[in-house]
Amino acid sequence: MSSQILKIHQQLVNKEITCTALVQEKLELLSQNTNNTVNSLLSDTALNLAAKVDEKIANGENIGLLEGIPFGIKDVYMVQGTTTTASSNLLKNYKSAYTATAIQKLLDAGAIPLVKENCDSFGHGSSSENTIFGSVKNAVNPELVGGGSSGGSAVNVAKNYTVFSIGGDTGGSIRQPAGYNNIYGLKPTYGRISRYGIMAYASSTDCVGPIAKSVEDIRIVLNAMSGKDVKDQTTYASAEIDADAIKTSEGIKTVGYFKNFIESDAISPEIKADFLSAIEKIKAKGIEVKPLDFFESNTLVSTYYTLAMAETASNLSRLDGTNYGNRIEAENLKETYAVTRSENFSEETKRRIVGGNQVLSQGFSDAIYLKGLALRDAIANNFEDDFKKVDIILSPVTPNTPPKIGDSLKDPHAMYLSDAYTVGFSLGQLPTLTVPQGTETGLQITAAKQNDELVLKFANFLKDTI
Amino acid sequence: MSKLMTVDILSSIKGAKPSEAVNKLFDDIKSADINGEASINLNKNSVSLQDLRDDVVIESSALEKQIIIENFPKEKNGYLVVSKVIEE
Repeated sequence: MSSQILKIHQQLVNKEITCTALVQEKLELLSQNTNNTVNSLLSDTALNLAAKVDEKIANGENIGLLEGIPFGIKDVYMVQGTTTTASSNLLKNYKSAYTATAIQKLLDAGAIPLVKENCDSFGHGSSSENTIFGSVKNAVNPELVGGGSSGGSAVNVAKNYTVFSIGGDTGGSIRQPAGYNNIYGLKPTYGRISRYGIMAYASSTDCVGPIAKSVEDIRIVLNAMSGKDVKDQTTYASAEIDADAIKTSEGIKTVGYFKNFIESDAISPEIKADFLSAIEKIKAKGIEVKPLDFFESNTLVSTYYTLAMAETASNLSRLDGTNYGNRIEAENLKETYAVTRSENFSEETKRRIVGGNQVLSQGFSDAIYLKGLALRDAIANNFEDDFKKVDIILSPVTPNTPPKIGDSLKDPHAMYLSDAYTVGFSLGQLPTLTVPQGTETGLQITAAKQNDELVLKFANFLKDTI
Repeated sequence: MSKLMTVDILSSIKGAKPSEAVNKLFDDIKSADINGEASINLNKNSVSLQDLRDDVVIESSALEKQIIIENFPKEKNGYLVVSKVIEE
């Protein structure tokens, strides 16, 4: 699909549509939707901003490319004055005191926020069922999950309720729902976009990223949000990615894929066959394809979850009802903490907090947590070696198609294992894009750290190849 | 206070117990093959001391302060109320 942002921009400039009518239409679609994608609508703000854009156009003033473009925000981002719930009971009435850097940059560019979007509570899940706002239903088949944790954001984009949405990806939470709903979703290189103002899940892999219907829209939104931020010490300065620079596949000579992902018993025969067929089409274009060795899926998943649980146990320890949140009073301070957290956290969130505290405890930390850190280093080293041999790594997004609503909650361990193809790239902090091609749940394109441009370039190449 | 703390106390979650699903992950990591690359913790993800931001106080806006107060769970006679603090 071509750029929705460019198309709407032209329609606004040519006065074929008004921004107010556009925003009204999207707000209506969102309020009537039955996919449970909405936690709260930002109707007044959106309509006020739209009226200002219309006024500018009426006065003959130029507008920027993102000015007047309606977008959605996963409900883990602070937007001053809006409710930011993380889809949790604990924060169901919490009001953001400030705005996240990435969102502020979009607001400064004139984009119009429509909605805070449903997701797994605190990002804890792969299906967007761990939420107080009802399970998110898949855009293609509503009996299936929308994916997670950024499920509401992906479904809104797929259904054209938002032009683009901003998700958050810690272990696949942008890429997997993008794959489940047949759209694009980018996890940029860790640090390319500031994490300031996102509710922290696992700080060492949390990434802000765009979900959209075209490579061009991903590029535009990525450029708008990127950059060093004094409020997030892990950010780095990056050059803008030029539209012309990603039009050809020049410079991409070798593509790799992980043999064990494809030879695994866990992958569905259809996804395996489709993936291998995509590989053949790439070879037919004269690109060399190399099978690569990688860590076992169980090792990747357990390393990721060990570190993510340890980090989330620390990050969520602040949520005790003292200064904000749904405090439940008990006889003393300790009891108040315990009752507040016990009553307000979901089962999955509690499972992860407890797991995190287990691995950080004396007696466990050496055998599990420190080994997890060492494995993470080994995984990163493996990637460094791989990118000396290949320009791009291609992989399926998921081993299977989306499960039915209700199935993931019955078997948490199976849900963790379903993240096998996404978590490794998170641990490596690499730029990875889901494209809605190749297999039923798409393909992941990964490049070396800080080479997000190459990922987008290869995505354009795939559009014409498979 | 006892030196041994159970996960329910550590997590401030009543009745919390380790789960089977998570324990399976821990079994996997214990038996994982690290391919002889035991490069224990190279601190690849740390921020350089040369790159730290200045330690400055940034004043919050009036709106930000107002929302912080609004979010406070309990207020009485103009004061923000916390639970009774216990001493051990």
